Amino acid sequence: MLSVVVRRVLLGLPNIVLISLLLFFSVAGALGNPATLMLGLDATPERIAELEHQFGFDRPLLVQYLEWMAHAFQGDFGRSYSTGQRVADILVPRLLPSVELAVLGIVVATTFAVLLSSLTVARRVIRPIVTLLSLIGITVPNFMLGITLIYVFSVALGWLPTSGWSSWSSGIGLHFLHRILPVTTLAAYYFASFGLVYRAEYRATQRRLYIQVARAKGLSETSVSFRHILPNSILPVITQIGSSLGQLAAGSLVTETVFSIPGIGTLFTSALLGRDFPVFLAVGMITIVSVMVMNLLADVLYVVANPQIRLD
Amino acid sequence: MPHRNVIIGLLIIVPLALCAVAAPWLAPFDPAKTSIALFQMPSAKFWLGTDQLGRDVLSRVIYGSRVSMLIGTGAAIVSAVIGVPIGLAAGYLGRTVDLLAMQFINLFIALPGLVLALIIIEMTGPSLINIIVVLGFVSWPGVARLVRGQAFAIRESLFVEAARAVGGGAAWIIARHIWPNVFRLVAVQLATVVALAIFTSSSLSFLGLGIPPPTPDWGGMVRDGVDYLTIAPLMSLAPGVAVSLTVAGFYLLGYREE
Repeated sequence: MLSVVVRRVLLGLPNIVLISLLLFFSVAGALGNPATLMLGLDATPERIAELEHQFGFDRPLLVQYLEWMAHAFQGDFGRSYSTGQRVADILVPRLLPSVELAVLGIVVATTFAVLLSSLTVARRVIRPIVTLLSLIGITVPNFMLGITLIYVFSVALGWLPTSGWSSWSSGIGLHFLHRILPVTTLAAYYFASFGLVYRAEYRATQRRLYIQVARAKGLSETSVSFRHILPNSILPVITQIGSSLGQLAAGSLVTETVFSIPGIGTLFTSALLGRDFPVFLAVGMITIVSVMVMNLLADVLYVVANPQIRLD
Repeated sequence: MPHRNVIIGLLIIVPLALCAVAAPWLAPFDPAKTSIALFQMPSAKFWLGTDQLGRDVLSRVIYGSRVSMLIGTGAAIVSAVIGVPIGLAAGYLGRTVDLLAMQFINLFIALPGLVLALIIIEMTGPSLINIIVVLGFVSWPGVARLVRGQAFAIRESLFVEAARAVGGGAAWIIARHIWPNVFRLVAVQLATVVALAIFTSSSLSFLGLGIPPPTPDWGGMVRDGVDYLTIAPLMSLAPGVAVSLTVAGFYLLGYREE
């Protein structure tokens, strides 16, 4: 098992380094000359050269990359071009809403996908509904789903708040009220994709001998489904969660924008559109690297959890 | 007989494609023509009402199909041009080529396509051609992985072995024996790529990095309408429904029974 884990990690790590290099170089390339950007168009060449030297922009990109990384590991991402604040200070308060949204989205999607697909009572009624919801989840873009939900539940019915992200201090009720629509929006796609994976595995497990034994000894269908098929079919869903994290980041980006949630996603878009490169680089790097690290973790977890893979 | 899903997909896509082609004849108004009739409710004259500049929403939705179709099919072609050769080479040649290609493919599959597209488009500028190339570029790994798997399987078949036995080189075998057997699968997969490209490009427009105005574009229209959701909901909902239907159509068209 250890050798498989080590091999996965050895194959995964270069990718993470490669992507961080690519991101750094492309952002540096797009940046043009930061000194010119700071000084304006009428700056003298001497002044530009001086500033370049002062900030170290005149050194090779690889050296700048290594330095950026070294600082990043100490929590120093430089200062924002637009506000002058330390990037870390802007970033940290925005992490919580994004992480909360993502975790709730995954939990809700997985729970509903697995439970609804495992239900054996009233399956004839539930199945078509699940199929329809899945089609909606896969084909309706996040922004459209979010806006439709806002229109129906906030504008037309007036039941839920349209946007914002009230903090915990404003009370648990209000807190969750604000989360219903964004979490639903984000979870819809994953409900569909996890459900698809789970049902395929569920059908395969159903044909196993031990399931027939369970039925033969007189267990009810519900108990067979939840106690025997479910635990043996859930593993691919875990892998799917791992490989969906990149898409999840993209989904949260759109969802946060629709609901004006003060998270990493909205920070990323505003930094990108405002060309605030230190902020953008930090957010991009953290998002992409953490997605890839978690991918790797999911890979490793899968190996650890599945005895069949452990052997080879 | 094609699968039911494929037929439903065609029933959505064919009228839509006709709509894109015949937009100038179908649209009751010029989509860019502003008027003083702002935020009109749907009426006999403006079927879906008008927007914040007094433009006819229906005409803009009809014209919007052009950009979506163009981006979707364009991106699919680009993704095939990049993904098919890589997939064929990896699947047929195997060994080091395969290892390198898979490493690259997995890297791109793990990355969030929308985020990648956002970064590249912000750097290159949001023009139609840039958006097509970028979306093709972010969706090629799926095509490559599919082609690779298929090529890998076909490589072991008897007719390929026979071709090798009579002295066929790798390039010749790939072109004459592998590709014809992969082609159909690629064609089906491309429908899914179109769906994904339209999905992503409309998300880009929604975030403000799409086709620049005044070209009518569904994602951008939804974005424009967000601020007026209470007074003119159709400004957002109509183009939003159009995107969703188009994505659903292509998605169903690309349906494969596992």
